Amino acid sequence: MSATGLRAMLGVQWRTHRRGTLVWIVALVATLVGTAGAVAGLYTTPEKIHTYAQAVTAGNALAAINGKVEGIDSLGGVIQDESGFLFAFLLPLLGISLVAQVTRREEEAGRLEALLGGRVARHVPVLAGLIGASVAIVVTAVGFALGLTAFGVPAARSVLYAASLGALAFVFAGLASLLAQVTLHSRGVYVWSLLVLAVSYLLRGVGDVTKTWVTWLSPLGWAEKAAPFGAMRWWTLVIALALGGLLATVAVVIAGRRDLGSSLVRGGAGSARASAWLRTPLGLATMIHRPAVLGWLAGALVIAGMMGALAQPFVNAVTGNPAMGEAIGMSGAQPEAGFLAVTQLYVAIIAMGYAVQAVGSLRGEETAGRLEPRLSGTLSRMRWLAVHGLVVITGLVVIVLVSSVVLAIATAWSMGTAVHLWSVVGAGAAYLPSELLIGALALAIFGLRPRAFPAAWAAFAVVAFIAFLGPGLKLAGWVLDLAPTTHVGDPPLGTVKALPLVVLCAIAAALGAAAAVGFRRRGVPQG
Amino acid sequence: MSTTHPVIRTEGLTKTFGPVRALDGLDLEVAPGEVHGFLGPNGAGKSTTIRVVLGLIRASGGHVELFGGDPWRQAARLHERLAYVAGDVALWPGLTGGQCLDVLGATQGGLDETRRAALIDRFDLDPTKRVRDYSKGNRQKVALIAALAAEADLLVLDEPTSGLDPLMEQAFQVVVRERREQGCTVLLSSHIMDEVESLADRVSIIRRGRTVTTGTLAELRRHTRTHVHAVTVDVPVGLADALGVADYGSERLDGHTDIRFTIDAEHLDAVVGQLHAAQIHTLTVTPPSLDELFLRTYDGESGPLDRSELAQPEGVRR
Repeated sequence: MSATGLRAMLGVQWRTHRRGTLVWIVALVATLVGTAGAVAGLYTTPEKIHTYAQAVTAGNALAAINGKVEGIDSLGGVIQDESGFLFAFLLPLLGISLVAQVTRREEEAGRLEALLGGRVARHVPVLAGLIGASVAIVVTAVGFALGLTAFGVPAARSVLYAASLGALAFVFAGLASLLAQVTLHSRGVYVWSLLVLAVSYLLRGVGDVTKTWVTWLSPLGWAEKAAPFGAMRWWTLVIALALGGLLATVAVVIAGRRDLGSSLVRGGAGSARASAWLRTPLGLATMIHRPAVLGWLAGALVIAGMMGALAQPFVNAVTGNPAMGEAIGMSGAQPEAGFLAVTQLYVAIIAMGYAVQAVGSLRGEETAGRLEPRLSGTLSRMRWLAVHGLVVITGLVVIVLVSSVVLAIATAWSMGTAVHLWSVVGAGAAYLPSELLIGALALAIFGLRPRAFPAAWAAFAVVAFIAFLGPGLKLAGWVLDLAPTTHVGDPPLGTVKALPLVVLCAIAAALGAAAAVGFRRRGVPQG
Repeated sequence: MSTTHPVIRTEGLTKTFGPVRALDGLDLEVAPGEVHGFLGPNGAGKSTTIRVVLGLIRASGGHVELFGGDPWRQAARLHERLAYVAGDVALWPGLTGGQCLDVLGATQGGLDETRRAALIDRFDLDPTKRVRDYSKGNRQKVALIAALAAEADLLVLDEPTSGLDPLMEQAFQVVVRERREQGCTVLLSSHIMDEVESLADRVSIIRRGRTVTTGTLAELRRHTRTHVHAVTVDVPVGLADALGVADYGSERLDGHTDIRFTIDAEHLDAVVGQLHAAQIHTLTVTPPSLDELFLRTYDGESGPLDRSELAQPEGVRR
């Protein structure tokens, strides 16, 4: 196959997506370098690192979440462990989004047709997408390696670590390119590849906890088994690169042979009439937010269920090794409560992500042009906003409560004893004001400065970083205070005070009111 | 509609987006029961005017009235009586066409069920297909059917037929006429002159945010010239110098006289008398098309159209 128009295609993709791509690269490198810097500043002596390593390896729970890090008894090992959870999702997402946005999404929008009408061969857009994504991945990996080396991690190990993460991203880029050929819409590409990612995460977790070959079934496992700070298995990179390359090759071949706009998987027909419920503002809002609620709920349930199931080994570990409790910021006296508190924080961050995405879909309705016809009917702006607010908040409460109940049940099953359901649910509920605050912040941006909505995601990223890594990295007090989750009181381990929660609620309410005023006054649509 | 109060009225309407002056003193009056053609090149401010009239955006200055009320303050209440088709039709991709129809219907305050079924049939729409699988034309049909089946006193249609094939365009015109006969008022923004010409009772032509001219087609034509093409047996006498005649040309063809000229509408009668005297063989009298009116309006006003104004229709953006 000759690659007619490859240069032109690469140019088009670079011009249209350079900003998003650069943001991805900078954010990822900054996350890793920030973590490395904090870890290097914190664990200054071999003794301190050793204490950390002993603490973390003592139980299965952390291995399930962050992965089983070989050679954790080193600076690099600590960094790999600290970034384990975040990078297990961010790097695959990098590969998926870089490819999906230039392949099926362009085809779906009809822009690909215009290009293929010119001197561009049919398989070239996906080829160019893969090349562009690979370059971005390599640049990210180089940034990783340089950043780690700068903080004193041995160069060869830094390179292997960066390469293993890059290879992980490449597998998912290849997967996304193939899915872009067989599904009709870019949404399908995301849904299916995220599903594969979730399964990969579970397989890696199960394999690490049970110490079996199951880990080898997961692309996340291959990255882990590269053991950059342990045995240094360079050859594991071959597995990931071979699979990614195979998927990518199949995608390019299919793209060269299939019709434009075709796919293997197509949606069927549906009902010719809308139900009475769907015709109500509440019904339509529910339809709009349902996918986000279900998606984030699934994520929260995976975390809650998995953590709950591992409660007993975790508690045993902490009881036998008080240093572990200290290392992850909890007192050894109440290991069970401490473990529940950590899990609830994860759930809270997931719920926050949902809140931002749900508010973002209001912005999506506007930019897609669906808000305009909606507001040119008998529905007033305030009612539209109120109905969506109600649905989004209901979704938030459902996510928090259902995952709290699942966490309680899984924990009780694992420990073989009764768990105080209400203390677990109460802990989840205590985070609601902070989740509402972030959602209200997003809503205020939507109401006042809709074009600046990406700032809401930036705020979420900052809060998530502080909440996950802040205490472990011993960030300054005022930095920790920036995250609303800091003020909740770490339930059920710590005690929740009413005043901070009231203040959080008040701020959320003020932001909500500002959003309403702004939305009432501004023109719709603002593209 | 018993009242003679205008359905839509704007006076000296202005709207600025930052440094851009989108509307610059726009006047528009739509009377009850009429189909009002709303014409202008790209970027003239048609969609902006419509959004101000619907209370979606707020006027920077001037006066706007919808059903005698303030659309910015009373948007939801005033919307009970109208249905709107936006310039860029966007629907919920996960819903079927039929579900979108019902949702849009509920948004507008109800669809006439008989009309809904008849229109689905007439526009040949498959209501069980998901919107994400529809072509642009089919999405357009959904929005159109929802508006045309609405129990509304006013239809606001922003370039409603971009993307429709000629058959559907025909069906659209038939239905709009039916709705007008039932007493519905229509504001029709369009690029398609034929459509406006065959539907509109009155026309407003705008440019750069200002109303250039407004009136019935007859009124607009009164100031323009009619083309006459006649073949007569004898040579008419003194026609070339008759009052109101211009662009005169004649030649002998197969023993007949072939004459072409243009004439002021008010002098047509006298000239036809002279042609009659020379024994008419064939006679074609063509009033100026809206195309000509439109281009002519722009020729006179502040220079010819610039490149951007002559670009593609607005529906093709992005």
